[in-house]
Amino acid sequence: MAAEPAYTVASDSETTGEEKSSSPLPEIAIGIDIGTSQCSIAVWNGSQVEIMRNTRNQKLMRSFVTFKNEIPTGGVSNQLAHEYEMLTGSTIFNMKRLIGRLDTDPVVHASKNLPFLVQTLNIGVRPFIAALVNNMWRSTTPEEVLAIFLIELRVLAEVHLKRHVSNAVLTIPVSFSRFQLSRIERACAMAGLHVLRLMPEPTAVALLYAQQQQQTVHENLGSGSEKNALIFNMGAGYCDAALTATAGGVSQIKALAGMTLGGEDMLQNMMHYLLPEMDNLFSRHGIEEIKKIGLLRVATQDAIHKLSFQSSVQIDVDLGNGTKICKVLDREEFEVVNQKVFEKCEFLTRQCLQDAKVEIEDVNDIILVGGCSYIPKIKNILMSICKRGELYSEINPLEAAVRGAALEGAVASGINDPFGNLDLLTIQATPLSIGIRADGNSFVPIVQRNTTMPARRELIFTTLHDNQTEALIIVYEGDEKVVEKNHLLGYFKITGIPPAPKGVPEINVCMDIDASNVLRVFAGVIMPGTQHPVTPFMEVRMPTVDDGHGWCAEALHRTFGSTLDLITVKKKVQ
Amino acid sequence: MWKKKLNSLTPLSSNLRRSKAPIPPPYTTATEFTSKQILSSSPKFKTQENYSFSFNSSSSKRLFKTPRLHLGLPNLNSNLFCSVSSSPAAISHCWNCNAVASGTAPFLACQSCRSVQPLDPSIDYFQILGVEKKYDIKVETLEGKYKDWQKKLHPDLVHTKSKKERGYAAEQSARVSDAYRTLTDPLSRAMYLLKLEGVEVDEEERISDPELLVEIMEIREAVEEAADTQVLNHIQAQIQKQLEHWSESFADAFCSRKYEEAISSIQRMTYYKRANEEIVKKL
Repeated sequence: MAAEPAYTVASDSETTGEEKSSSPLPEIAIGIDIGTSQCSIAVWNGSQVEIMRNTRNQKLMRSFVTFKNEIPTGGVSNQLAHEYEMLTGSTIFNMKRLIGRLDTDPVVHASKNLPFLVQTLNIGVRPFIAALVNNMWRSTTPEEVLAIFLIELRVLAEVHLKRHVSNAVLTIPVSFSRFQLSRIERACAMAGLHVLRLMPEPTAVALLYAQQQQQTVHENLGSGSEKNALIFNMGAGYCDAALTATAGGVSQIKALAGMTLGGEDMLQNMMHYLLPEMDNLFSRHGIEEIKKIGLLRVATQDAIHKLSFQSSVQIDVDLGNGTKICKVLDREEFEVVNQKVFEKCEFLTRQCLQDAKVEIEDVNDIILVGGCSYIPKIKNILMSICKRGELYSEINPLEAAVRGAALEGAVASGINDPFGNLDLLTIQATPLSIGIRADGNSFVPIVQRNTTMPARRELIFTTLHDNQTEALIIVYEGDEKVVEKNHLLGYFKITGIPPAPKGVPEINVCMDIDASNVLRVFAGVIMPGTQHPVTPFMEVRMPTVDDGHGWCAEALHRTFGSTLDLITVKKKVQ
Repeated sequence: MWKKKLNSLTPLSSNLRRSKAPIPPPYTTATEFTSKQILSSSPKFKTQENYSFSFNSSSSKRLFKTPRLHLGLPNLNSNLFCSVSSSPAAISHCWNCNAVASGTAPFLACQSCRSVQPLDPSIDYFQILGVEKKYDIKVETLEGKYKDWQKKLHPDLVHTKSKKERGYAAEQSARVSDAYRTLTDPLSRAMYLLKLEGVEVDEEERISDPELLVEIMEIREAVEEAADTQVLNHIQAQIQKQLEHWSESFADAFCSRKYEEAISSIQRMTYYKRANEEIVKKL
């Protein structure tokens, strides 16, 4: 070990040395960006990040899977154009929007007019998703679809790197709950990938920015003073904002904000605008309807893309059976139809700035990334909020996330770079609050959102009833006041509370999030006047819920009422 | 409606409190000391009482010490100056390579083999961030030191290492984050300083000063009735002035060890800060 630092030359690098036990050449984790509409894969090649190309020489591959023959194929290897296959009902996409969601979720409902089957029963189970293969519905799940193209990505990387690939860093939307993260992990496991990190997309961009800033400092030999950057990322499915404070290669995430909002929403709005009776027309979901909706989708998407670069566009699409859409669409119309989407973007950005407690004047750079970053209105919103005339231009908006993920992959694999290019660190923050149900139906946060990780927080609760011997700890994630509007992560019971009047036993609930973002919940009972818990603290790793958990909360309520409820410790009164 | 909203807010300080593990005092040589569990609502100074706490307890036991069990004791190193420079800790050896801790920086990571060291709760936040133990510090200097530490201690950088060291890294990194967060904010810095002196601030205490109560009501009403951002900005400027004023009076009171006065300054800072946050929300 002592001889090891000689390798890091004169750099004042603080990256840790290799441990003796680890292999001489640690496997470098690959970075994967699985987008709602496109995915990409990159790796640290020893001196820089390299984005891998598929056999068609593409860096960005469509995120879809076609179930046509015995073996489904995804967008990485499939030679045929996505657009035509979409008309047959055999192609499944947009799975990142649907993963880990129940059939009561409005996002799932909005997905019903995709050109395949998304069916909901509104009872809190996973939606029924199926592709039309040989006139029969072949059911699938978002996890399966993601796993299919993750396998293709892994094979692509293995061919490229001429080695086995098992470790990966994936980027995820800020608004994903831990339950959704567990679904992504499952999809990775199905594809034979071990998840080293799941990185919120804007934090991957922040890491790339930190590296660029450090290189600039190296070149200019200038001072490595702190720089604040506002990152706004909007893809087809999700929209995220982050504020990062960068100095010396360290990126501290000061605030994160995200929501399910993206190009898909604008596309849906435009489709409804062009064909108001769309939902009725397509409700039957036969082969004809799928073809029609596919045609409308392709035409509308194409028009939206063009409107980013020209002020108006001619739409000319024949949906068959006399339904024709012939219209000139201008950019203003597009902006009016999607006004709500843009308002939400503005809200998200302001919320992020407010949470970070950073004044607009103190933001050094504004970084706009993701597929929607080409939309002029989005650029204008950001520039107007930040009172700036220009945006940061050193980052490719479509490659930023995957490049950041590859950097994190190298850093997290313990790779050293003699030139200090991997002398980087991201200090993450929690995107959503985590707490429990207490005080009736209220969500009581224990770890507030935007808490620096790793973190440990605790809060004391007490019993609601006299001689209450058990208490139910129901863990939720989110920032809504009412528990039902947050994401259920799991529940367990504390037993053996000594009989006592209500309000006397102290129920200590502690939450611990480690640097790998693993959440553990500890709970135990302490009687006043003693220092030791009555029984050993229970430690539970979250999330524990599986599919169909939409049933749980209701069933718990029906079975137990308020008998096992907790309340927060009341403020001491004079 | 505005009033209701204000009333329903949890005191800002309770957020701070729940985030902190009880802090053992610095420079203690005794292995055992006493403190009291504060149940009364008025802040009091330590008197010897029945709750004992072994200094050797590992940080993993933090969990079992509820925030209500406040620790405190007379500062053994108390002196008449309002600041205490960081004193070097007792000689420590690296658990991995047995190198002796050197230099003036606290021994959180080994200088020779870079191993992260086990958590030493006797090193206070001021020592960690390399600033004098006083209220009036340059906040701008903290950020660099904080990031320097994270580059040595963050679990992301050691996760190819042993499980034991990864555990140390998790604890050290979290503590450095706590140190940074606590010292950056004037209010939490003030409360932490008092805590190090063995003075517990009871955040749950109601305001009894009628003058302050009236003022708070007036601010609330003014914010509620504010017609435009200009008015709000005006109120905000006034609140800022008050914050600065009470911040200064805390510094004075703390220097002259008038802790009751220091606590009352903290209370006022808490309320002005909260009022300010409400304005920011409305702006």
